[in-house]
Amino acid sequence: MAHQAHAYHMVDPSPWPLTGAISALLMTSGLATTFHYKTTTLLFLGTTLLLLTMFQWWRDIIRESTFQGHHTTSVQKGHGYGMVLFITSEVFFFIGFFWAFYHSSLAPAIELGGLWPPTGITPLDPFEVPLLNTAVLLASGVTVTWAHHSIIEGARKPALQSLTLTVLLGLYFTALQAMEYYEAPFTLADGVYGCTFFVATGFHGLHVIIGTTFLMVCLLRHTHYHFTSKHHFGFEAAAWYWHFVDVVWLFLYISIYWWGS
Amino acid sequence: MCQNIHVSYKITIILMFVFSVRRRLTTTTIRITVRSHLVYLSVCPQGLCPGVPPVSPPVIFASPTKLASETGSQAEYLRANRIPDLQKLFQRADGIPVHLKGGLIDKLLYRTTMGLTVGGAFYCLVALYIAAQPGNK
Repeated sequence: MAHQAHAYHMVDPSPWPLTGAISALLMTSGLATTFHYKTTTLLFLGTTLLLLTMFQWWRDIIRESTFQGHHTTSVQKGHGYGMVLFITSEVFFFIGFFWAFYHSSLAPAIELGGLWPPTGITPLDPFEVPLLNTAVLLASGVTVTWAHHSIIEGARKPALQSLTLTVLLGLYFTALQAMEYYEAPFTLADGVYGCTFFVATGFHGLHVIIGTTFLMVCLLRHTHYHFTSKHHFGFEAAAWYWHFVDVVWLFLYISIYWWGS
Repeated sequence: MCQNIHVSYKITIILMFVFSVRRRLTTTTIRITVRSHLVYLSVCPQGLCPGVPPVSPPVIFASPTKLASETGSQAEYLRANRIPDLQKLFQRADGIPVHLKGGLIDKLLYRTTMGLTVGGAFYCLVALYIAAQPGNK
């Protein structure tokens, strides 16, 4: 039986790229049919397929690494590059929405009253819930770093506690933000202010939910002894993503909540 | 709502204070403070700390650093480490690809997913064909 003479991972043939691609087709055409015919079948089917694909694909990666030992240092390095490039692409995604915000707010149109916030808009007080949200995310950055050091030092209980705390803080942020959305005196339909506010903070909120889910998976894996003190890249990737989410919030807070009020 | 905000602020500030002075009860004597975190981040990228003591806990599946009887909550330690068993299962030389190697549940999940994929693709093509017909808006 031939053995590999290199440090890289040649994966087994997998059906998940195909199912993922089809789920993207179903979700996009499902969105179109929902708009035109008010029928959500395709969209629902596409979303279900996406969830099934993500679960099984990532389950397989855990099997290949933790159970089969394929993730050598070289493979981990490649994953590191991949995660950095992905986060960089997300940074550019947000740059677009910040561009839109500053385009409209630096030179407010005459239709808005020539000022920012526009006439008729009551912005949220930046020193109420938004400031609390800032504290929550900053605290979660501390707890995730604490968790990392605990994992490196093999301290299981502190690692589980700090990771749990990080997840709870993420959920707390989401709950507070949902409450803010409900109580806000303006909506998405309130001109360019409402549009830039809800699209930028909305996509950020989605990323908080994604990051929290990623951390929850890491917590589950750590309870099952998947991570060692020398090898825990999944957790590091989650921590990097979480710090990115935190930094985006800081920019949102300074630009939209504080300067924009 | 104002009262809720002030209560939430107090809880958050208390929690942050607790984290900043908390002393970790492990075999090492490093105190984790906010400043230490920042020092670690600046000189210990990716967790490769020169300051970590040479005598470290076992690398593989690090065991608890205290006796179970010393801990307040034993919930985390009660879970058995099934990694060696899972490693044996997934390293069996049976030629089965990784997405089916877990047994019957893998097969069921795969067939469900593939069924939805193929069925969904056909359904989508039919829906798009109908939507493309003139007068069917």
